[in-house]
Amino acid sequence: MVNENLVKDVVKEPYKYGFVTDIETDKIEKGLNEDIIKLISQKKEEPKFLLDFRLKAFKKWKKMKEPDWATLGYKKIDYQDIIYYSAPKQKEKISSLDEVDPKLLETFDKLGIPLTEQKKLTNVAVDAVFDSVSIATTFREELAEHGVIFCSISEAVKNHADLIEKYLGTVVPASDNYFAALNSAVFSDGSFVYIPKGVTCPMDLSSYFRINSGDSGQFERTLIIAEESSSVSYLEGCTAPMFDTNTLHAAVVELVALDDASIKYSTVQNWYAGDEEGIGGIFNFVTKRGKCLGKRSKISWSQVETGSAITWKYPSCLLLGEESVGEFYSVALTNNLQQADTGTKMIHIGPKTKSTIVSKGISAGKSKNSYRGLVKMGTKATGSRNYSQCDSMLIGDQASANTFPYIKSQQPNSEIEHEASTCRISEDQLFYLQSRGIEFEEAVSMMVSGFCRDVFNQLPMEFAAEADKLLALKLEGSVG
Amino acid sequence: MEIIEKIKTNKSNDNLTEIQKICLHKLQSCPLPNPKSELWRLSNKSKFSNFLDYSVNQKDSKFELPYPKNSQSTIRLIIGENYQIKLIEKNYSIQQLSEDELQKYIKEQISFFKQNENWSDLLNMSLSCKNNILGLKINGSKIPPIEIFSNASSNSLNAKTLVIFLEKNCDVELLQVNLGKENSSLSQSTFFCLKENSSVNHGVVSYGENRSNLLNSLNVIQQKNSAYNLGSLHFKFNYARFEISIKQTAGNAKTTIKGMQITKKDEQISTYTKIEFNGPNGFLDQINKSLADDKSHAIFEGSIIVPKIAQRTDASQLSRNLLLSNLAQIDTKPQLEIIADDVKCKHGATISQLNEEELFYMRTRGITLTEASKLQLSSYFQEIISFIPISKDRWDLLDKLLNEN
Repeated sequence: MVNENLVKDVVKEPYKYGFVTDIETDKIEKGLNEDIIKLISQKKEEPKFLLDFRLKAFKKWKKMKEPDWATLGYKKIDYQDIIYYSAPKQKEKISSLDEVDPKLLETFDKLGIPLTEQKKLTNVAVDAVFDSVSIATTFREELAEHGVIFCSISEAVKNHADLIEKYLGTVVPASDNYFAALNSAVFSDGSFVYIPKGVTCPMDLSSYFRINSGDSGQFERTLIIAEESSSVSYLEGCTAPMFDTNTLHAAVVELVALDDASIKYSTVQNWYAGDEEGIGGIFNFVTKRGKCLGKRSKISWSQVETGSAITWKYPSCLLLGEESVGEFYSVALTNNLQQADTGTKMIHIGPKTKSTIVSKGISAGKSKNSYRGLVKMGTKATGSRNYSQCDSMLIGDQASANTFPYIKSQQPNSEIEHEASTCRISEDQLFYLQSRGIEFEEAVSMMVSGFCRDVFNQLPMEFAAEADKLLALKLEGSVG
Repeated sequence: MEIIEKIKTNKSNDNLTEIQKICLHKLQSCPLPNPKSELWRLSNKSKFSNFLDYSVNQKDSKFELPYPKNSQSTIRLIIGENYQIKLIEKNYSIQQLSEDELQKYIKEQISFFKQNENWSDLLNMSLSCKNNILGLKINGSKIPPIEIFSNASSNSLNAKTLVIFLEKNCDVELLQVNLGKENSSLSQSTFFCLKENSSVNHGVVSYGENRSNLLNSLNVIQQKNSAYNLGSLHFKFNYARFEISIKQTAGNAKTTIKGMQITKKDEQISTYTKIEFNGPNGFLDQINKSLADDKSHAIFEGSIIVPKIAQRTDASQLSRNLLLSNLAQIDTKPQLEIIADDVKCKHGATISQLNEEELFYMRTRGITLTEASKLQLSSYFQEIISFIPISKDRWDLLDKLLNEN
C-alpha cells in the first residue's frame, strides 16, 4: 500500500513565483462602465475603430449572462470591484531595454525570463506583459529583417492599424461568450505577431504574462497571423503573486493561418493556484481559438495547465481550409482545491480536414478536473477525420475526474474516434520501480511524466523540460 | 400541448389516484422540461409538441398482436388488460403486487425524482390510471420467459406503467414490447427492483408505425450481487426517447447493456443512460449502437457516475454509430464523472459509415453492393439482437431490420 503521509510530505513545494514587485503603478479606479472603457482607450491613444469595437463589445456584455454550464463552483465575481487598467509607471518612450525600470527587469530575471539582450543564446524573442501593459519585446530588429512583426498589441494598433482592423475579432467575435465580450471591451495589452508570406520565423516567439497587482484583472489579447506558407512557434508563460483575494484573468487569443501556414502555440500556465485551503488564486477564463483559413494550414495547441484556482479554457480550431489540420495536446494538473474545466473544440467545416486531440488530466488532493470537448463534422467536411484520446489519472480518493466529450456528425463520409480512460497510479508499477531502488516520490513523478509523455513530446524543448519539472513539483506531497 | 394545459388547470380531481395527484402537483410547477438542459437540448421541439398533442386515452382498444403466436412456454401479458395474476408453481411464483405495495414503492421512487431528469416518469404517472399499471412480484427460478406488451391506439396518448420486483435468488428472462400505432403517442415507464442475487435478462423492443411517438423510461435498482442484462432495440418511431437510469445501491452488482436505435426518414430517436454506482466493486459493460439514414437524427448520451464510495468499479461504455446519409445527423456524448480513485473506467465513441474496404473485398468475391451492405449491417445488428432475450428464435428481428433497409 502506498504510504499516504509519505506522499503528502513529498510535494509541499511552495509557489516560488508568489513574490510581489514593489513598483509605482498607474492604476485607474475600480469599476466598469463606458467612461472607464473610454479612459483605457484614451490612455492607449487608440484609433476610433477600436474604441467603437470596445463599446460595442461592452454593450453586448451587459446583455449576456455569466456561463454556468461548466462543473466549476466559485464565488460570484463582482465585476465592479476590479481595476481594469494598471501599468507600471515608466518613461513615456523606451528606445532600448536599458531604459526599462530595473525593478521590472529584475522581476523577469527572477522568473527566469531572459529579457536582457545579452541572453541571446537562448534564441527566443520575448514580449513581457506586466499587469496591463507590455513592458519590453526583445529581438525586434532581428525579426524585422525577416519581415516578422512581433510587438505588443498596443503598438500594433498604432503602427499596423490596417492588420488589426482586418483581423481583430474575426476569430473570436465580441459576442462569442461572456468572457470574450468582457475582454473585447477592456483588453489592455497582449502580443501581436505577423509572419509574412513564405517566412519561417527564425526563432521561437514568447510572451510572458505577469500579474503583479492584487486588485486588478488581467485582460490581454493575442493575435497571430501567419500568411501563406509561413510558420511560427509561439510560447506563452504566466505567473502571479500570492494574494488572499482572487484575481480575474480573462484573455482572448486569436490565430489565423492562411494557405500552407502553420502555427504552433504552446502554453505553460502557472498562475497562482491559491493555498491548500483554497484561499486566493487566479480565476482563469480564457478564450483561445485558431482559424485554419487556408488550404493545408495547420494550428497546433499544446498546453500544460498547472496553476489557477479556476481554469475555464477551451483552445479550439475552426478547420475551414481544405486539408487543414488542428491539433490539441494538453496536460491539466489540479491539486488541493483547484478546479479545471478544460478541453477543446474541433469544428470541421472544410473537406479532408484532420484533427487530433490528446488530453491528460491529473487530479490530486480535493481538486476537480474535467475534460470538455466538442468534435463537429459539418455537412461539407467530406473525408475528414478526428481522433481523440483523453485519459485521466486520479491521485487520492478525494479528487474527481470528469469527461464530457460532445461528438456531432453530419457527414457520413468522415470518421470520428474517441476514447477515454480513468485510472490511478498503478501500485504494481510503483512497487517495481521501488524494488529497483528508485525513491517513492521519484517513482511517482516518473510515472506521471510517462503518463504525460505524448503531450510533452509536442512541447518545444525548453518548455518540455520545464513542464516535467513543474509537474513533479506540483505533485509532491499529494500522492496518497 | 393540450395535455400541458390540462395539467396546468387540473387542480383537483376526485377520480385521480393519490400517485396521479402527487405527480400532477409536481408537474404543475414546471409543466414542460427545460429545453436548455443537457437531457432535452437536442430534442426536436416540434416533434415533442406533436407527442403531447394527442388526447389522453385510458381505455385500450383491443389490438391484434403483430408478433408470433403465443407458445405454451411463454407467459404473455398485456398492460391495460384486467388480469388477476397469481401463478404459483413448484419452482416459481408470479403474483400481482397489491395496491398498497405498488403505491408505497412508487411513492418512494417519486421522492427521489428530479423535475427535469424524471419528467417523462412524472408525465407517465400523472396520466396512467389504475388499469394501466401492472405490478408483478417474481420469485424462484426456471421461470418460463415472460413477454409484456404495451401499445398506444391511434390518435391518442396512452400511458402505461410496469413495476417489477425480482425477489432474492430469482432468475428470469423478460421481453418488453412497446408498439406504436399510426399517429399515436405512448408513454411507458418501467420500474425494476432487483433484490440480492437475482438476475434478469431484460429485452426492450420498441417498434413504431407511421408517425408514432414514444417516451420510454426505465428505472432499475440493483441490490448486491444482482445481475441486470438489458438488450434494447428502438426503430420506426417518428420521435422516441429511451431514458435509462440504473442505480447499483450497494455495489457488487453487474450491469450489461446492449442497445441499438435505427432512424430513417426524418425520425429522431434518442437514448439517455445514467448509471450510478453507490457501492464498491460495481461492473458495467455498455455498448450503444446507432444507425442514421435519410434525414434522421440519432442521439446518445450516457453518463457514468462513480462517487467516492464506489471503489474498484470497473465500467466501460462504447458508442458506435453509423451515419449513412448526407442529411442525417448523429450526436453522441459518453461521459464519466469519477471521484473514487481505485477504478477502471473507460469510454469510446466512433462515428463512420460502412467500411469501404470490406465492401470492396466482398464485391471482388462476386457479392453485389446491396448484398454486401446487408451483410455488413447484419453483423452490425447481430451483436445487439442476439442479446435480446426470447426474440432469438421467435421474432426474426434481424430479417425485419434488414428487409427494411
